[in-house]
Amino acid sequence: MSRLHLDGLALAQGARTVLEGLSGSFPDGAITALIGANGAGKSTLIQGIMGILPPLAGRIDCDVPKERRAWLPQQLALDLSFPMSVEELVMTGSWPTRGALRGYRPAQYRQARSVMQRLGITHLAHRPLGELSGGQRQRALLGRTLMQEAELLLLDEPFANVDSDTVNVLIQVLRDMADQGTTIIVVLHDLEHLARLADCVLMLAGGHAQWTTPHAVLERHGVTDLASQAPFVSLTFPDSSSCST
Amino acid sequence: MLDLIAPLADYGFMRRALIAGLALSLAAPPLGVFLMLRGMSLIGDAMAHAILPGVALGFLMAGFSLPAMSLGGILSGLVVAGLAGGVSQMTGHREDSAMASFYLISLAAGVMLVSLGGSSVDLTHVLFGSILAVDTTALLLIAAVSTVTVLLLATMFRALVMECLDPLFLRGQGVRPGLIQGMFLGLVVINLTAGFQTLGTLMAVGLMMLPATAARFWSKRLEGLMGLAIAIAMLASTGGLLISYHLDMPSGPSIILLAGIVYLLSALFGRYNSLFARLRRRAAPLDAPRNGTSSA
Repeated sequence: MSRLHLDGLALAQGARTVLEGLSGSFPDGAITALIGANGAGKSTLIQGIMGILPPLAGRIDCDVPKERRAWLPQQLALDLSFPMSVEELVMTGSWPTRGALRGYRPAQYRQARSVMQRLGITHLAHRPLGELSGGQRQRALLGRTLMQEAELLLLDEPFANVDSDTVNVLIQVLRDMADQGTTIIVVLHDLEHLARLADCVLMLAGGHAQWTTPHAVLERHGVTDLASQAPFVSLTFPDSSSCST
Repeated sequence: MLDLIAPLADYGFMRRALIAGLALSLAAPPLGVFLMLRGMSLIGDAMAHAILPGVALGFLMAGFSLPAMSLGGILSGLVVAGLAGGVSQMTGHREDSAMASFYLISLAAGVMLVSLGGSSVDLTHVLFGSILAVDTTALLLIAAVSTVTVLLLATMFRALVMECLDPLFLRGQGVRPGLIQGMFLGLVVINLTAGFQTLGTLMAVGLMMLPATAARFWSKRLEGLMGLAIAIAMLASTGGLLISYHLDMPSGPSIILLAGIVYLLSALFGRYNSLFARLRRRAAPLDAPRNGTSSA
């Protein structure tokens, strides 16, 4: 089963075509890792799936309603000096049901409380975003997507600038979400996270995409037993000319 | 003390000016807070220049008619905001460069229009305002603008906050990004237009921005910032008006200078990030209870 299909998709940033001829389905209830060198088009594809960037050619078929598509941007994309507390940020995830006008109900506050508890940030509820560490911010942002009850979740490098405790919490929560049927697409940069998290892999290179498995990626990098490797092995990518799908 | 506020009881024009000032103080500062938080503090200034040619055109066509001048100001303000947004979207240049170009053109065109059609007294009036000119029509207009602003701001509040923090989230939810921004700039324009009668086109923006920038030294919460900014603006309006009466000084500069003094005092002695707070600050020990007073 899949609620998200790509069919001959081409995406461009301005006058530059970034991706071409992308086809395939993202499986439901699974975590798909999106990997590729810088500039390979990972963020472009995410923008396309979120409906922010219209396709140049081909189609994106997504059965998930817009308000259940959640997105966890890179932290730098947010204005974190804005005077807002963790609880307020988490509460904004109730937009799909409350919209711009309807007031928050006690049920939403209770839901936010349980979300924050799940992420271990209850004690930070009233702390301003500007005073959080990278890991605490990332938990708060994931809290917003949990609040949104997302059915499709896209994450752009969620583990960058994040402490290892937070990585463990995030991985656990993402795994739980996937088990409940959420389709998750995550941009990743290192092998350890790929091995721990991904069910399948979409590799972007040279404007084309290749579907593969975590196992194949690890094997190509000569990792058969992850435990024997130092953590945070960086991924390397094949020369763009040698890869075509 | 009674002597100080006696003019408010004695003169109708002082009462009208006071009500006008308080109404403006209720609506404009929250807009200033959002402009400041979005790093758009100077946009208000640009918009203030942008309404000038419209005001001048209204003046040329209908004389000293407040509705005509206000309508002209609102239209030219919106046109400039729209053009600047359009040009920046078309060329991919940053919006502030387009905005700067258009407001400079507007300023020159406005001054040219007033000079062609009127005397330098008229120009002074349009640029710097006059409390004597606040009649019942002006008062109604200002009250209407301030009512519309407060209601609309309350309606779009959540969307505006989210647009400031994470515009892509709203786009993902299917809200058109230009919509919130456009409505917000529209509110800025009508508030500046409402303020030009008492404060003048160039200084109307002072009542919007100075209370907001001063409040930042006292609060880290959005509600606190907006409440404080309104309080500071009301204080400056009332105090400035009385000072201008007793010391026989122009009202617009008195009001804005008073707000400016509050800003300077806040920068020196405010609770957060002021000069004094920085000098005084010592790191709290790790086991000290947190009460949210420490700054990042």
